[in-house]
Amino acid sequence: MSVHAHSQAHVASPPIAAPRSGFDWWLVAFAVALAGLGVVMVLSASGIMAERMVHDKYFFFKKQAIFLGIGVCLMFFVAWLPRKILYGPVYLWLFVVLALLAMTMIPPFSVKAGGARRWMHLGPLLLQPMELAKVVLVFYLAYFYSSKQALVKSFSVGFIPPVIVTGILGVVLLIQPDFGGAVFLGMLFFLMSLVGGTRIIYLFVSGLFGAAAAVLLVVHSPYRFKRWFAFLDPFQDPQGTGYQLVQSFFAFGSGQVTGVGFGAGKQKLFYLPEAHTDFIMAVTGEELGFIGVSVILAMIGVLMWRSFRIALAQDDLRDRFTAYGMAMVLGIGFLLNLAVVMGCVPPKGVAMPFLSYGGSNLISGFLCVGILLNLSRRKPT
Amino acid sequence: MSRAQKQIRDFSRMRLMVVGGVFFLFWASLWVRAGFLQIVQGPQLAEQALRQHMASEYDRGKRGVILDRNGQLLAKSVEFMAVSAVPKEVKNPEEASSALSKVFGVPQKDIQRKLTSHSNFVYLARRVNDRAAAQVKALNIPGVTLATEYGRSYPNKQMAGQLLGFVGYDDQGLEGLEKYFEPMLAGKKAKYVVQRDASGRRLYLDAQGREMANADGSDVRLTIDAQIQFFAEEALAKAVVDNKAKAGTCIVVHVKSAEILAWANYPFFNPNGGSDSDPKAARNRLALDVLEPGSTMKPILIAAALQEKVVRPDTTYNCEKGQWNFQNIATIRDTHPYDVLPVNKILRWSSNIGAAKIGMDLGAPKLHAYFEKVGFGQPTGLPLPGEAKGLLRPLSAWSKLDLATNSFGQGIGVTPVQLAQAFHIIANNGVRKPLRLVLDPVQDSAYWPETRVFDPQVARTVQQMMREVVEEEKGTGVKAHIDGLELGGKTGTAQKAKATGGYGDKYLADFVGFIPAVDPEYMILVMVDEPEPNHYGGVVAAPAVREVAIKSLSYLGRMPESVKLAQEQRPAAPAHAQGPTGTAPDVAEVLGVAFPPMNLSVNGAEVPNLVGLPLRKASEILASKGVVPSLKGSGLVVGKQNPAAGTPWNAVEKEPFTLWLAKAS
Repeated sequence: MSVHAHSQAHVASPPIAAPRSGFDWWLVAFAVALAGLGVVMVLSASGIMAERMVHDKYFFFKKQAIFLGIGVCLMFFVAWLPRKILYGPVYLWLFVVLALLAMTMIPPFSVKAGGARRWMHLGPLLLQPMELAKVVLVFYLAYFYSSKQALVKSFSVGFIPPVIVTGILGVVLLIQPDFGGAVFLGMLFFLMSLVGGTRIIYLFVSGLFGAAAAVLLVVHSPYRFKRWFAFLDPFQDPQGTGYQLVQSFFAFGSGQVTGVGFGAGKQKLFYLPEAHTDFIMAVTGEELGFIGVSVILAMIGVLMWRSFRIALAQDDLRDRFTAYGMAMVLGIGFLLNLAVVMGCVPPKGVAMPFLSYGGSNLISGFLCVGILLNLSRRKPT
Repeated sequence: MSRAQKQIRDFSRMRLMVVGGVFFLFWASLWVRAGFLQIVQGPQLAEQALRQHMASEYDRGKRGVILDRNGQLLAKSVEFMAVSAVPKEVKNPEEASSALSKVFGVPQKDIQRKLTSHSNFVYLARRVNDRAAAQVKALNIPGVTLATEYGRSYPNKQMAGQLLGFVGYDDQGLEGLEKYFEPMLAGKKAKYVVQRDASGRRLYLDAQGREMANADGSDVRLTIDAQIQFFAEEALAKAVVDNKAKAGTCIVVHVKSAEILAWANYPFFNPNGGSDSDPKAARNRLALDVLEPGSTMKPILIAAALQEKVVRPDTTYNCEKGQWNFQNIATIRDTHPYDVLPVNKILRWSSNIGAAKIGMDLGAPKLHAYFEKVGFGQPTGLPLPGEAKGLLRPLSAWSKLDLATNSFGQGIGVTPVQLAQAFHIIANNGVRKPLRLVLDPVQDSAYWPETRVFDPQVARTVQQMMREVVEEEKGTGVKAHIDGLELGGKTGTAQKAKATGGYGDKYLADFVGFIPAVDPEYMILVMVDEPEPNHYGGVVAAPAVREVAIKSLSYLGRMPESVKLAQEQRPAAPAHAQGPTGTAPDVAEVLGVAFPPMNLSVNGAEVPNLVGLPLRKASEILASKGVVPSLKGSGLVVGKQNPAAGTPWNAVEKEPFTLWLAKAS
C-alpha cells in the first residue's frame, strides 16, 4: 500500500530532524513559558480575592511560583531518569493511585471543597490524585497495548482489562464526585485504545453505552439536565444555571481584540467563579484580549506539535504510546478547558494545563513534558 | 523488528496522525470560537458586562444650612444612615430578614415582605442609629446596603420655627423658608457611576467623595439676628401669656436697610418635631393672618391726608363728644369723649371720629390709592410660601361708611407684615423699600423698586405725631416710654369681627414703635390676638415693644450709657446670659424663672441687693462697677452678700466683695 510505504519512508527519514541528542528544547521553552504566563495570570486573577480572603494578594501567586520551580526541576529529573525506572512497575503505580484516590474520601486526609472530595492532605500540601491518575493510566495503557498487541483485537483479553482499570478509576472519581475527571479518563482511554489497536467497533459500542449512561444520568435528574444544557443558551438563566458561562462570556467579550490590560479585568472581581483555576482563560481573554488568547493558542499548538512529533518519532510501541498518551493528557486538558470556558461543551471542572492555579495540575503538566523529553532525548533503537 | 510489529507500528502511526489531525481541528475551531466571542460578540458582551460592573447610584448632597445674619446656625442637616435593599440580590430573604429584624427590633415578617417584593429598591429602615448601622454592616448581607441620608435639626428649637418651616422625611422643605428655598437648599441629586464587584462592594471610594461635595445644597443667610429674635419671642410670649391672649406676633425691622431682625410668632412651634410641635402653631401668622388693624391705621391715613394737603397738623375736627351718628347709618364711637381736636391729637388720643372725618375729607379714591401704595391687598414679596395678600376691597365696592371705617382700620384686612411694611414707609421718611428677610442669596427686588410714597416732611410730621403718642401727656402709648430715649408709636385696639357678623368682645391689641421717634433706626411691631381682660394696645402690646427695644438696643450697643445702667437694674430676664453663638435657652424655661423684687438704687451710688439674683446677673451688675467678687460655696444663685445692700460704693472698694452662692430654689 502506497500509504504504508509513504509512512515507512517517514520513519526512516523524518522530514523534520528529530532530536538526536539532548531534549526537545522547543517543548521545554513553551511549557515553561506557558507556566510562567500562568503564574502571572494567577496573580492577576487571584490578587483581589486573596487580599480579601487571606489578606495577602500574593498568596496564590507565591504558591504557584513555588510549584513552577518544583515542576521544572521534576521535569528535568524525569527527563534524565533511565526509562526502566521511569516505566517501573505499572501495576504498583496503578495501585498507589487508586489508594490515593480512595484516601481523598477517608477523613484524616480528606479535604472537602465545593461539595467534592477531590483533594487529600499530603503534609502541608494538598494533592489532587486525579492529576496523577491520568499519567499512571497512560503508563498502564501504553504498557498494555504495546505488550498485548497480538491479543488486542480480542474482546476478553484485549479490551476488557483496560476497560476495567479505567472503569475502576472512573467510578472512584465519580464518587468524589469529579465528573470532569471521569470524562477525562474516559477520553484518555478512548484515544489510547484507538491508537493502541482496539477494534473500532468496541470503542464505538462502548462509546454508545457511555453516552447512553450519561443521557440516563442526566435525564433522570431534571436539575442536572438543566445544568448540563444551560451551556447551549446560558443567557436564558444568567443568574442561575447559566451564571458561570455568562460571566465567562462577559470576560472574553470585554477583552475584545486587545484586552482591557493586564490586571484591569473586572470579571475576576468575584463575578467569575474559579477565576484563577478553571476560568483562568476567561481572565486572560478579558485582560489580554483575542491577541493574548491567540498567543496562548499558538503556544499550545507548538507544544502539541512537538509532543505529537516526539510520539511519532518513537519506534518502540511502548515509547510511542507513552509519548502519545502524555501528549493527550495535555491536549485533552487544553481543549476541554477551552471548550468549557467558551461554552462549547457542558460545564465540568477541568483545569487548564500549566495556566490554572493548582500545584497538582502544574506538577502533572511538567511530569508529562518531562516524560516526553525523556523520550525525545534518545532513541532506544 | 518483526514485520507484524512494524505493521502495527505503522498502523498506530496512522491513527496517531489522525488523532493529531482531529486535535488540531478542534484546536483551530476553538481559536475561531475565541475570535467569535471576542471580536464578533465582544462589543455586545462588553456592554452587558459593563452594566453589571457599573452601578448607577443616586445620592443626595447635604442640604444647605440656614444661618442668622451673624452666622449662627438656625437649621442644619444631620447625617443618618438608611438601610436599603435590592430584593432580587438578596439570596436568602428569610435568613436576612430574621437577622435584620433583631437589629431594628421590628417583626421579621415585615422585613421579609419587603425583601421578597418585586421592587427594584426598598428601604428597610431609615434614620438608624450608629450601632444598628454597624451591626447591619457586620452582617454583610449581599443586596442590603447602607447609605447616608440627612435629617434636619433646628438647634435653637422653637426659635423662628414658623419662619424656618420644616422638612419632610425625605429632607424636602414643606413649610416656611425651607419650602421657599427648597431648590437652593436641597442637596442636588447626584447620579454617579460606581464600579462594584460581584458582592456589590463599591470600588474607588475617594472619587465618589469628590463628586458628592459638589452636590451639597447652598446655604441661606437671613437678616434675622438670633439674639434679637430671642428678645422678641421672649417679650411676645410674656405679652401673650400675661394677657391671657390666644396668639401674637412681633417683627423688628432695621429701618434704613429694611432688614427684618426678628420675626416672632406665638404660640411657638418647634420644627424639630415632638410634643411641642403642634401643627397649628406652625402657622406663620405674620404672613398669613389677615386682621383688621384698627387704630394703627390712623398714621397711614394722616400721612396720606398730609401728603394730599387735605389737612395740616393743626387742622381741627369736631370729635362729637365721642358719639357721631354717621349719616343715620351707624354710630361711630370714641373710647373717650373729645370735643374739637387738631390732627396730631386725633392721632395721639386715637379718635375714631376724627379719623373718619379726615378720611371723608381725603375721599375714598385717594385713601384707597394710598392703601395700595403702602402695599395693602398685595403680598409683600418676602420669600414666604403662601403669603396672604390681605383683604382690600375694590374701590367700587366701598360705601360711604366703608370710607369712614377704613380710616380707622376697620373693614380692611391686612397681615401683620403688611402693616409693618406700611409703617416702614413712614419710618423710612416716606420711601417704600421692600422688606428683606434674606441676606444671602440677595433677593431680587428689581421687580419692586424703591418708590417714594410720602414727602420727607410728611413722614417727619407723622413721626412727630407718633412721638407724642408715647412721649406726650395722656398719649395712648406712654407705656412704651423708655427713660432717656424718645420713642414714637401708635396703638391699636381693634374689635374683632365675629364670624356671625358685627363686632364682638374679642380684641386685637397692637402697637408699632419707632426707635427713636424721629428718623427712626428700628421699628418694632407687636400684635396680641384676643387678650383678656386688658385689650388696649397701649397696655398689652406697648410694654412688649418697650422690652424688645431695651434689650435689643443694649445688645446692639445703641443704648445711651446712662440709660443702659438705669434699665439694666430693672428686673429683667437674663437674656444676656446667652451669647449670640450659643443656643438660646428655652423661652418657656426663662419665663418660668421668677425674680424677687429688688430694691435697686437707680443712681447706683449704693450697693444693690443681689440676694436671689442669678450669679451671672449679679456678676454683671458688679462688673459694671468694676468689682470682681470672690465666690463662696456652690450654686447659681446669690444667697448672701457682703457688703450688704445700701453700703455706699466708695466704701466697698476697701474690702473684698463676697458672694455666697446657693442652689436655686
